[in-house]
Amino acid sequence: MTTTRASGAEIFRDRVAEACADGVPLGAYADDHALHYLFLAAQGPYALSHRFDETRIAKAVSGACPALAWDEREMAQERAVHFEDLPDPRPFRWHDGAMPPAVVAHGSGLMHFVVGPVHAGIIEPGRFTFSSGGETLVHLDAQLGYSYRGVERALEGGSAAASAPKVARICGGCSASHSFGYALALEALAGVRVCAEVDLARLVIAELERIYNHVADLAASSAGTGWGVGFARGMALKEEAMRLCAIAGGHRLLFDAVVPGGVAAFALDDRRRIAVEVVKLESHSERFVHALFGNASVSSRWQNAGVLGREIAHALGAVGPAHRASHGTVDVRTFAPYGAYRDLPARVARATGGDAMARCHVKRDELSESFRLIREALALLGDAALPPPLALRAGTGTALATVEGPRGAETIALRIGAGGRLERFHLISASYRNWPCVARAMDDNIVPDFPLVNKSFNLCYACADR
Amino acid sequence: MAAFRRSLGIRHLVCGSCNGCEHEMNALNNAFYDITKDGWDIVASPRHADVITVTGPMTVAMREAAHATLEATPAPRVVIAVGDCALGEGPWAGAPDAGAGAVIELGATVTVRGCPPTPDAIKAALAEAARHADKD
Repeated sequence: MTTTRASGAEIFRDRVAEACADGVPLGAYADDHALHYLFLAAQGPYALSHRFDETRIAKAVSGACPALAWDEREMAQERAVHFEDLPDPRPFRWHDGAMPPAVVAHGSGLMHFVVGPVHAGIIEPGRFTFSSGGETLVHLDAQLGYSYRGVERALEGGSAAASAPKVARICGGCSASHSFGYALALEALAGVRVCAEVDLARLVIAELERIYNHVADLAASSAGTGWGVGFARGMALKEEAMRLCAIAGGHRLLFDAVVPGGVAAFALDDRRRIAVEVVKLESHSERFVHALFGNASVSSRWQNAGVLGREIAHALGAVGPAHRASHGTVDVRTFAPYGAYRDLPARVARATGGDAMARCHVKRDELSESFRLIREALALLGDAALPPPLALRAGTGTALATVEGPRGAETIALRIGAGGRLERFHLISASYRNWPCVARAMDDNIVPDFPLVNKSFNLCYACADR
Repeated sequence: MAAFRRSLGIRHLVCGSCNGCEHEMNALNNAFYDITKDGWDIVASPRHADVITVTGPMTVAMREAAHATLEATPAPRVVIAVGDCALGEGPWAGAPDAGAGAVIELGATVTVRGCPPTPDAIKAALAEAARHADKD
């Protein structure tokens, strides 16, 4: 009997590994009964699932597919899945009153130093353990988890409909994307589609989130090179973008602008003013980008800093601008279109250098594309009234949704049981996917370039930790 | 202008925030809110700080580092709880690994509500902290 179970787990492991090699892995999670490995296809996200018995014994896929290393370690710690062969068996995060030991490199002349969890700037907490020989970095272990609140368990058991404001507050910088994904998942379960006008309004909101994030990333990438003027201009531009978010979505960070069944009641109310402000912001943005990319000192620091090679980006399952700056082609908006992106395809920004320069190029191109999409959506929307949110009948079952957030694919997986209660909620954020890439992009770089390389990714901690 | 007489070194401490409050804390340095005009500065070390701003509900993993940061800050010091989570009233109050926030856990004496609070609201809290600091 044991042999049969083990071989079933092995067959599943091999099937998942094959899907990882051929497809686009999004991540994995476990619930009380089964493992779920998620992938993205043109029709949207789908799961390969495997029921385990009460022993919860499973075979790790991350040996063959390192992209899933975090997911499997997290399943082991948080959901008591007994992987017999985890390549990295350390606890995933804080455990028994301590952080798990960091991985360090040993060798003649190597030294180790630890930064965090409290950092010098206004930054989220994380612990970075550097192993370096002089200034050259040999290994970086990025350990997060300090922002782990237990979001998933806090949501589970609650009403799915009433949980939307909490989902919007898992991560400040990706709030609209998470609300969008959550809404799509609930709507799929209820078997409803919002109208074309709401789709367009959601596109405007999602692209505004991309704009303020990308502008902030470019500003921070300027700061990483020591160009204070670029940083100051970029952060002023971000403020303008946040004020536009408040006008368009009722909140400077777009909290609750997208809701299940629709958009916030006041969203896009003053469309004439929004259109004027968008044009103004676009013009300011173009001037900022021109100055930033025209500065030779900035470019020379970006070039060859933090190279994430094509193979390693693929192996680690990089998503979003980090993926597209390393030869990647997937943008969820075009790969698996949803909402208004079905009719308004985004031009996918790509680069091949894999360095900070390439990531900034991708964000620059996405920024101008976001403005174009918003202008087109507003033109299509005209003065059409936005209906109030649809009342969603409480469907039961499992639903998945993946949207393209500013940092890449944001996937929401949920299962709803009797009475519209969330039985399981799981978020796979783009930051969660990309953090291991930051560490590897630092290999062979000088330690003083860490802030620059880190900011060229500019990942969140809150939606990676949850 | 007595409220602004005293310069403040501000150290920011993130204890499980969603990063929304950090977006607004960062805005304090942009050209629109520029707190350096008020004689205030975000400093890199608690050793340089008069004020500790704290966000988030206080996670289990951050508790030890948060107390160490507070202890590293010279007296007199003012602890400000920034945002609903730090007041123990945010969306994650009661979550498995969330604590009670900075008012209860770190003795914050100045509070600013909001999810997140606006930069102007945070500036008003800093002004209040400056008044507290004057009394010490």
